[in-house]
Amino acid sequence: MAEHTTGHTSSAEMGCGTSEAVLEPVLETRRLTVTAGAETILRDVNLAVPARSVYGLIGPSGAGKSTLLKCLNRLVDLQPLLRVEGEVRFQGRSLRDGTLHPDDLRVRIGMLFQQPVVFPGSIQHNVVFGVRRQTGVRRRDLPGIAESALREAALWDEVKDRLRKPAATLSVGQQQRLSLARALASRPEVLLMDEPTSALDPRSTRAIEELVRELKERHTIVLVTHDLGQAQRVSDWLGCLCLQDGAGELLETACCAELLESPKCQAVADFLRQSGGRTEA
Amino acid sequence: MRRWLDRAVVVGTGTCVLVACGVLLLLVLAIASRGLPALSWSFLTEEMSRGGAAGGIAYNLVGTLILIATAAIVCTPLAVGTALTHGFYLRSRAARRRLELVLYALNGIPSILFGIFGLIVFVGFLGWGKSWLSGGILLALVMLPTVTVAMIERIDALPRSHIEAAVALGLSESEVVRRVILPESAGALVTGLLLGLARVAGETAPILFTATVFAGATLPTGVRESPVLSLPYHVFVLAQDSFDPAVSRTVWGTATVLLLLVIGLSAVALPLRLRIHDEARHG
Repeated sequence: MAEHTTGHTSSAEMGCGTSEAVLEPVLETRRLTVTAGAETILRDVNLAVPARSVYGLIGPSGAGKSTLLKCLNRLVDLQPLLRVEGEVRFQGRSLRDGTLHPDDLRVRIGMLFQQPVVFPGSIQHNVVFGVRRQTGVRRRDLPGIAESALREAALWDEVKDRLRKPAATLSVGQQQRLSLARALASRPEVLLMDEPTSALDPRSTRAIEELVRELKERHTIVLVTHDLGQAQRVSDWLGCLCLQDGAGELLETACCAELLESPKCQAVADFLRQSGGRTEA
Repeated sequence: MRRWLDRAVVVGTGTCVLVACGVLLLLVLAIASRGLPALSWSFLTEEMSRGGAAGGIAYNLVGTLILIATAAIVCTPLAVGTALTHGFYLRSRAARRRLELVLYALNGIPSILFGIFGLIVFVGFLGWGKSWLSGGILLALVMLPTVTVAMIERIDALPRSHIEAAVALGLSESEVVRRVILPESAGALVTGLLLGLARVAGETAPILFTATVFAGATLPTGVRESPVLSLPYHVFVLAQDSFDPAVSRTVWGTATVLLLLVIGLSAVALPLRLRIHDEARHG
């Protein structure tokens, strides 16, 4: 089992001394290619995300990190001009084999966006916004679900006395944790985070990072970040997407420390150097 | 020179505002000064008598309310459906442009043509004769572009992130429509309805051949051969055909009631719209 790989990487290849049980990937992509007309956005991406870990996706702007993330929960389907080829597998099942409806998939793979999204309505309304629709969830269960999700997102103490107040009155950092609570309320197995701290101040950023570290005990997390320091602080694994001939390719994936300390691929080393990370290749 | 130009622009734009507001003010004053003396409880609650020279406009007022209420009821689902199709379901830009073209073309159709259309379809083909329902449907068609475009603009302005976040939570398309798009565009629907109703409340041409008569109707009891009296047609007939000086009191009084109805619609709808807008933003 290789500890450090470049190019196409399978779960079995991602070692770093971790046991086989942990390495069983929750999410996988196989030769994932995304095109928009004649333009290729992602090319032949092979990704494997082990369970109960934080998988950081780094790379320059425009390399297709967010697009890759949206392929993992089929949010890319909202963009009809994009064509997706290859395979994405969740817990061993292909997302497009017809057995898992996209809406059900998205309940199990939650997502946190770059900017906090607050729906019109109260704080509690926002937390249970997604979970309300789920079968088996009764109206009287909602306050308990909201409390549990807010506690998990470390927001309960700050909002417990104003759950009926408009969510828009929260600070941006609180709104992002509210968005996280909303995603957590559906009890997803995987959380996709698309630069979740890019709009936040350092204090809120630290709070989110702390949460990510705690949440990986119960969830698998895929985190897109531009901040190498953040990637280093919270990620167990790193994948680096770089532009090759105009298309994003996953050039290297490895344990976080290894990829940052000793990248094998020259393009990755160049990216790390330009971003203020390590320079050796 | 530049300062002079700046001042000229300010004076020019200010003059435009004054002219626009001044015309509106003059119109309101001209009607109200002649019509207000005619207004009384009995004028609003009594039936017309002596060909409009005496009595009140009770059934004209009720008839107009029936027509615009029907128009609002018919128009709302059509406008919502069309706006959702445009803003959510149609993926092709070309198809959306074609739908916009149809709406703008519909908006440009002279209202008398709606009347002719109603005469052929409702009065003739369906055999309804003059009917309040024909009038309501035709007025709904007249106001449809106004309401739809107001909603389309709001849906287009909705944050894309809200829809994306809702889908990411596992909401189906219909749930996104019901729980994100409709609540967040309800204010535009109210505004559009207000504008549309204010327009059609005074329309005469679409109901001329299809829904209204000058006298002899009270409350509708069915659909076929069931016309209503109406305020705009009352003004139209009395102002055109009557040589009785006593009628002018009724004409101005009716016109004032029509004006107050439109202003009243705005007065009710504007706070409602602001409340919905506020709720949509802050909960």
